[in-house]
Amino acid sequence: MSTDPTHTAAFFRAEGTLLPRPTSVSVAWLAANAQGIGERIVRLGTLGLSLPLWPADRRTARKLSWSALRGMSQDRLTVLGEEYFHLRLKDSLRPVGLDLLAQAKKQRRRTVLVSDSLDVIIAPLAAHLKVDDWIANRMELRNNRATGRLIDPIIGSFSGTELRSYADEHGLQLRQSSGYGASAEDAVLLSAVGLPCAVAPDRALRAMAHNHQWPVVNA
Amino acid sequence: MIAEALTGRQLVLTGVTGFVGKVYLVMLLEHFPGVGKISLLIRGGSQGALRRFEAIADTSPAFRPLRERYGSRLGEFLGERLQILDADLDRDHCGLSDPQRHSLRSADLFVHCAGITDFDPDPKKALNTNTLGALQVAKLAKAAHAPMLHVSTCYVAGERDGRIEESLRVGHAPNGTLFDPQSTVDNALRAIHKPRRGDRIEVGKSLARALGWSNIYTWSKGLAEHLLASDPELQLTIVRPAIVECAHSFPFPGWNEGINTAGPLAWLISTAFRRLPAQPTHRFDIIPVDEVARGMLITTAAILHGTAPKIVQLASSTLNPLTFERTIELTGLGLRRYVRRGGGTERERRWFKHLDPVPASGGGWFGPIAIRSWIQPIRDGLSTLIEREPPTPVAEKAQSILKQLTRTQGDLDRIEDLLTLFKPFIHDHNWQFVADNIVELSNKLPPEESAIAFTLAHIDWCQYWVDVEYPGLMKWSIPILRGQTVQADLPSVPPLQITAAARVASK
Repeated sequence: MSTDPTHTAAFFRAEGTLLPRPTSVSVAWLAANAQGIGERIVRLGTLGLSLPLWPADRRTARKLSWSALRGMSQDRLTVLGEEYFHLRLKDSLRPVGLDLLAQAKKQRRRTVLVSDSLDVIIAPLAAHLKVDDWIANRMELRNNRATGRLIDPIIGSFSGTELRSYADEHGLQLRQSSGYGASAEDAVLLSAVGLPCAVAPDRALRAMAHNHQWPVVNA
Repeated sequence: MIAEALTGRQLVLTGVTGFVGKVYLVMLLEHFPGVGKISLLIRGGSQGALRRFEAIADTSPAFRPLRERYGSRLGEFLGERLQILDADLDRDHCGLSDPQRHSLRSADLFVHCAGITDFDPDPKKALNTNTLGALQVAKLAKAAHAPMLHVSTCYVAGERDGRIEESLRVGHAPNGTLFDPQSTVDNALRAIHKPRRGDRIEVGKSLARALGWSNIYTWSKGLAEHLLASDPELQLTIVRPAIVECAHSFPFPGWNEGINTAGPLAWLISTAFRRLPAQPTHRFDIIPVDEVARGMLITTAAILHGTAPKIVQLASSTLNPLTFERTIELTGLGLRRYVRRGGGTERERRWFKHLDPVPASGGGWFGPIAIRSWIQPIRDGLSTLIEREPPTPVAEKAQSILKQLTRTQGDLDRIEDLLTLFKPFIHDHNWQFVADNIVELSNKLPPEESAIAFTLAHIDWCQYWVDVEYPGLMKWSIPILRGQTVQADLPSVPPLQITAAARVASK
């Protein structure tokens, strides 16, 4: 029984398949472009405190790094997010990811960008790529200023529950859907779909792909 | 509602050569071509009112929507709807002849938009145009038994803080002083009777402050309101816009003319001056010019229907507040986006886009004075050195530095002048202008007139400031501050001629 392709999706984990840079770089860039020079130093200092934690406790490191943006205005995040996309991302998109995206569109799948970066950065990227939907982290705002905390659900490693909720909401058949990831963090995403693909994977994901016989596309 | 009110009616309009007047007229003709006749009272000068208006309609960017729609037929379109009269508001009955005044006797409404908008102009001109000129238009309106829409300013509220209602207590000055409007104007005319313009301005400023107005402009507009409102024979509606800025969408995004309040502030940011003196939490009450035009059109219709309130304030500070803290940050962000898209000077691209402006309140108010305190000794030292005729390379270097410091000194003087002028509006007071009346009127518009709805409450200030206002200021206002010319549109070939129908009753 064939499935209407419009009931299937192609999930692209942005970091690794389309974007070369990890999320922490975007946070550092936002912090370095705060309004005052003193403010920039303080924010970068906060970010610096999170660096040693990344290898051991990515969740805490991620929380601490986002807190570097606490107090930044919504206006600033919006404008800088778009600027970051234009200056740092637009010309760095990975050809292998773009080819896979073009294929998915040809197959009339619902194209969904998944990222643990901020919505203000992913929104212009998604518009540029003309994807159907995107899922990214959203900063909690109070009086139009960032609290430094992300709103649930927090996109880090995209959980199976979140993926199934998304699929149910949009009437998607996960077994007939594809998923593209590049690091071990994307294993859950790739396991949940029927058509997984490791894209220029890191060592851990490459090993997983080998064990599960997932296709691998190299850059 | 508006179309029904305007169809077949005769309006008389002053101030059509100004920023707001142009947009109002073009919006009216664009959306309501069924209007009967609009008589334009224009100061003609050496070229005459008709030729002056033809040049404006042919080359002003504000008229682009009409030029695009009607092309070579624009002259005919305007000729069928406009009567252009050479007028002078400084003269009795606006300087119109008897036949011209007679042609206005059937008018349904007089819209008075003309005025001098400089903050501290020659008070003689300000009183003649802004105060007494309004009375001359009122005379014409009364002769026609027609109502008058008088365009004033929210800042007749004077040096007060807090919520400012849509009301007027005739004879009560902003600082609470009781005064007689007519004798106040008569006394003022005598007091400013001095040969030197500078002396007249100083007298005018002190007369304004004595009653609680910040400057000569708001004083002259305030006196006009009191005089008009104290005339029991005049059917009066006052429209008070706040600070009028770049068009949000009509005639096109970013359109501006001349130097408004945000222009000098944005210009300051394009210098090395990064700390903008402003109270961060005070509200910066701005309104795009097309929102003003919409508000005026809606009020026009209400007047013609007989349902207009006495006073309509067109302001954002209660509907959609924008603070100075936010404005200053948005201006810096606007500069960043403008530079990224290819605009800006080399200095802005290299340095200033990285140095965001910040508000400086309280003790940081007069940064320029602090900077001047160390520039002057250096200039004196360099001058002394040059006088001693040092070796040529040293002399040349000293001359170069002295020239740069002199330029900086000039910039600082201009900055100080600007900041002094704007201080009441960006630092001293926190006005919150109520705008309930226009919201109520706008909510009554039928769906087919939604293009004219008053939408100030829904403007996304971030998108407006960064994508519309800042680029608009850079294109249309900042060049004037830098001493450059702003190009009008090229005239059509052959130049626009308004057909003979419009020439009836000209002198």
